[in-house]
Amino acid sequence: MKFFFPDSHDYVDPTFDFETEKNNEHRVIQRDDKYAHELFSKPVYDGILVSKAIVDGVSGVKGRYSVAQRQRFFREGIYRFFRLPKTYLTMGDCGAFSYAKEHEPIYTVDEVNEFYSNAGFTYGISLDHIIFDFETAKKKVEGDQLEECLRRQEITLEKAEEFLIKNKGLNFGAYGVAHGWNPESYADSVIKLQKMGYKRIAIGGMIPLKSPEILKVLKCVNDIRKPDTQFHLLGINRLEHIAEFANYGVTSFDSTSPLMKGLKDDKKNYHTSTEDYTAIGVPQVDANNNMRKLVASGAINQNEAFKLEKACLESLIGFDSGKVAKEDVLSILTEYEKLYNPKASRVELMDKVLTDKPWKKCPCDICTDIGIHVVLKRAAARNRRRGFHNLYIAYEKLQLELKKINQVK
Amino acid sequence: MNTISLPALKIEQGPGRALFSFAIKGKDIQSIASISRVKRHEDELVGYQRPEVSNHINEIKKYLESENPMIPNALVIAFNSTVKFVPSEHNKNFGTLVIPIVEDEENKPGLIVDGQQRAAAMREADIDAFQMPVSAFITDDSQEQREQFILVNSTKPLPKGLIYELLPYTETKLASSLQKRRFPARILDELNHRKNSPFYQLIQTATNPAGVVKDNSILKLIEASLNEGALYFYRDAATGTGDIDAMIDVLCNYWSAVSKTFPEAWNKKPKESRLMHGAGMTALGHLMDTIFERYYVDMGQDTVTEENFQSDLERIKPYCKWTSGFWDFGRVEDLADDVKPKVKFDRQAENVKWNELQNVSKDLQKLTNYILARYREEVWN
Repeated sequence: MKFFFPDSHDYVDPTFDFETEKNNEHRVIQRDDKYAHELFSKPVYDGILVSKAIVDGVSGVKGRYSVAQRQRFFREGIYRFFRLPKTYLTMGDCGAFSYAKEHEPIYTVDEVNEFYSNAGFTYGISLDHIIFDFETAKKKVEGDQLEECLRRQEITLEKAEEFLIKNKGLNFGAYGVAHGWNPESYADSVIKLQKMGYKRIAIGGMIPLKSPEILKVLKCVNDIRKPDTQFHLLGINRLEHIAEFANYGVTSFDSTSPLMKGLKDDKKNYHTSTEDYTAIGVPQVDANNNMRKLVASGAINQNEAFKLEKACLESLIGFDSGKVAKEDVLSILTEYEKLYNPKASRVELMDKVLTDKPWKKCPCDICTDIGIHVVLKRAAARNRRRGFHNLYIAYEKLQLELKKINQVK
Repeated sequence: MNTISLPALKIEQGPGRALFSFAIKGKDIQSIASISRVKRHEDELVGYQRPEVSNHINEIKKYLESENPMIPNALVIAFNSTVKFVPSEHNKNFGTLVIPIVEDEENKPGLIVDGQQRAAAMREADIDAFQMPVSAFITDDSQEQREQFILVNSTKPLPKGLIYELLPYTETKLASSLQKRRFPARILDELNHRKNSPFYQLIQTATNPAGVVKDNSILKLIEASLNEGALYFYRDAATGTGDIDAMIDVLCNYWSAVSKTFPEAWNKKPKESRLMHGAGMTALGHLMDTIFERYYVDMGQDTVTEENFQSDLERIKPYCKWTSGFWDFGRVEDLADDVKPKVKFDRQAENVKWNELQNVSKDLQKLTNYILARYREEVWN
């Protein structure tokens, strides 16, 4: 079971100075930065997934890449651009999510083929159009809604057919995409894709579904699966169901979830193999949006805020090296918290993470390298590294699950 | 009460309008003046200063801590009437300014009307004896302070182009945004003034208004190439500069080749030729990087000659419509009947008249993508 990490410019400046909070002033973004596969001494994913929409942008709106970066991406190809060893797999997709509101996909099959083959991907996923509806016992998909689902399914299948025909002679493996609005319609898509000749099928549109629903779909498609058909789950990360997934013919999946939790989740943003913790908020007075508004309107005194911010950082660093007592850290943290978030108190959550010191027990390169900074919620240099740490944990969990499956066999 | 006495010069600018000029140790500013932050007290507006900007302060701090800093423009401080000027016996315009020292932040005798970021940088910086010039006036009227604050802060900034043209002729430490531009600006300056450069006197700048290409278009393509393209190979990552002669060679070889490939479009006003326009410069700039890497990286050549560039440029020439006709952006590969999709979802052919391309990112991208796609098709495959 292979785990692909969907990239969206996720790298960090390795020279970031956690004491002065500065980047190197001559640093060239991306070229001088480091990806997760460069920071860790062992893999945290088996491959990366890059979508055309991220690289190209969507109908006039710029993608995450600058024009110059995008051109270099094509010149160098995906492996050189990402400085990715050949032992990793790469998968391209279209980024159907970004044009889901359009009537039709915004790319042509030729453009998609050109993208995959110029960039040198291992696998490419056919051009698709997402179906958002899903039928439940209470909610039938019918009428106009059903029409639309059928229309999108048909587009996806037609594009898949064209894609496979044109794939002959190109240097990447083709995935067809199955979309549906209930287990039967997914199975229908898979039957047709298998008939076209696809041996690799990506199952899409399941991100919003609950795990039992996903399993129902998988059970249904597995019943009609040819023995040599392999499934890829797009955007799914339910590690607790890995064994079931494997039984249903799933050989790979992708997800940004561990990283995104580190960046955005309010509660469970620092993961360990046993427990999820809440990172300690030390917002930057002059970079955090909420703080900036409070300061600009005169609601809080900037000097006082600066002083508290600095004091929080210093006492946290002092705590990490054993020079400051936990109670003192907590008291300054709560004083600062009163300023930027007077309503809610996270003192218990902060107490918990400071008591357990999970970063001290984590053997990953990020925790070893930056210590307590990994649990500070404060700008990308720390938050993205915490996301990377979560990737490490997720990948370890996956390997453990896979080991269990193999033992049973 | 404790006071601080400083030698000062009294400057009378009008009846009842007296200014005091003096110098104070940077570290002492906070003991005589505070900042009046803008906020509302029960619906009434008090104060006028915006929040401190850390990035800006750090820039000034770095400069203050650099080898030999100088800040010629004075802080402006408004004192209340507890501050007194005592004229000397010989000349009533020289004397001593006597300023009471007040610990309480709210009741300091002075408020900083201009220069709060500089004052904050001096507070943070690792300097001890740096003397800061100050212009002060005495008033108890908050309205007057506010007026002066608006007056000093509503001046028109210099045009960017002039700053960039001046940049290559500076050496001192500058704000990082300008520092980053200094080296690209120097390359531009050389391109515009070396006699054997294809751009000799063609780039429009403050002192060369007759030039046909906008300085900004060239600056952008140099920066893109320094970060992502051909010039990167000659860049020194530690200093942000590099082997400028090698870079100029690449640029001259390429753009000479461009001028020879498209003689009808070269050295015309952007209105008459989209080649000399932001769109053409951007797209061909990226093509330079692509062609360069083909010879330099893929084929391992030491240099890429004008002839190399020209032979590749010739391959995309038929697709270029710099001065007339239509760009065929909709081109879709003609497919054999048996592989044509049953339903045609492919977009309709999209043709754009040569002079409809605008200097906006959407058009720049469209043209760049088109030219590079054609190049890959013609040359790579």
